[in-house]
Amino acid sequence: MKRVEVKLALPVVAPLLDLIKRTIDDLHGQLAAPQSLRDLDEELGAAWKGELLNDQNGDCQRFLALFDREFFASGMVAFDDNNAESVLRACAAIRLRLRDRELRGLSDEALEGAGVDLDKLGEAGQKGYMGYVFLATLQELIIQHLDAAILEG
Amino acid sequence: MTRFSARTETAPAPRAETEPALAGLWRVVVLNDPVNLMSYVVLVFRKVFGFDEPTARRHMLEVHEQGRSVVWSGLREKAEAYVFTLQQWHLTAILEPDETR
Repeated sequence: MKRVEVKLALPVVAPLLDLIKRTIDDLHGQLAAPQSLRDLDEELGAAWKGELLNDQNGDCQRFLALFDREFFASGMVAFDDNNAESVLRACAAIRLRLRDRELRGLSDEALEGAGVDLDKLGEAGQKGYMGYVFLATLQELIIQHLDAAILEG
Repeated sequence: MTRFSARTETAPAPRAETEPALAGLWRVVVLNDPVNLMSYVVLVFRKVFGFDEPTARRHMLEVHEQGRSVVWSGLREKAEAYVFTLQQWHLTAILEPDETR
């Protein structure tokens, strides 16, 4: 099993965790991405949404498990075959919600092109953007090092 | 419903009978979003559909540049399963009738 350990900068990441946890709480009863399916009957639609929510919650809990006592002691987090997919999906869900809630004042073009002027965002927006970028960095790390494990899993 | 990801949880049950309106071929369409990383979308396409890297990248670029890409076409039940899996990965995916065949 391939395992990737990453040492994160505690003074940078720790302050973002409150916002990330709040965002996960916010996601508890709602899907991060809109769900749209033509002709899906009500019962199947409800079951469908319920299972997606259940999966989303499970992924977010696995993400939060990265930030345990060891992380707060050393800054280390570890990814392997067991958590890589869940963490990737959780990062996607949290980023989508951050975009909707904390970064809604930014244009799609600014977000996609990294043309964001932090000084214009205000404190809450800056924190939201830092979280958004941090989660993308985690995703890139996982994709770079564990893509084979994910594709074979 | 058959699910196509490696995950083993129980998926929503398929409808008991196929309604006439749902017969025929359906397309799985992925819509653009400004949030998910290009590398992430490529990985998801490879994982879910078994695409090789160039095919996955081509579909990703189509989504990015044209706003949508048809990633699969076939029977409704299987198309639903693909949409479900794409939604698990937080991509915006929809079904539409395939009127080209």
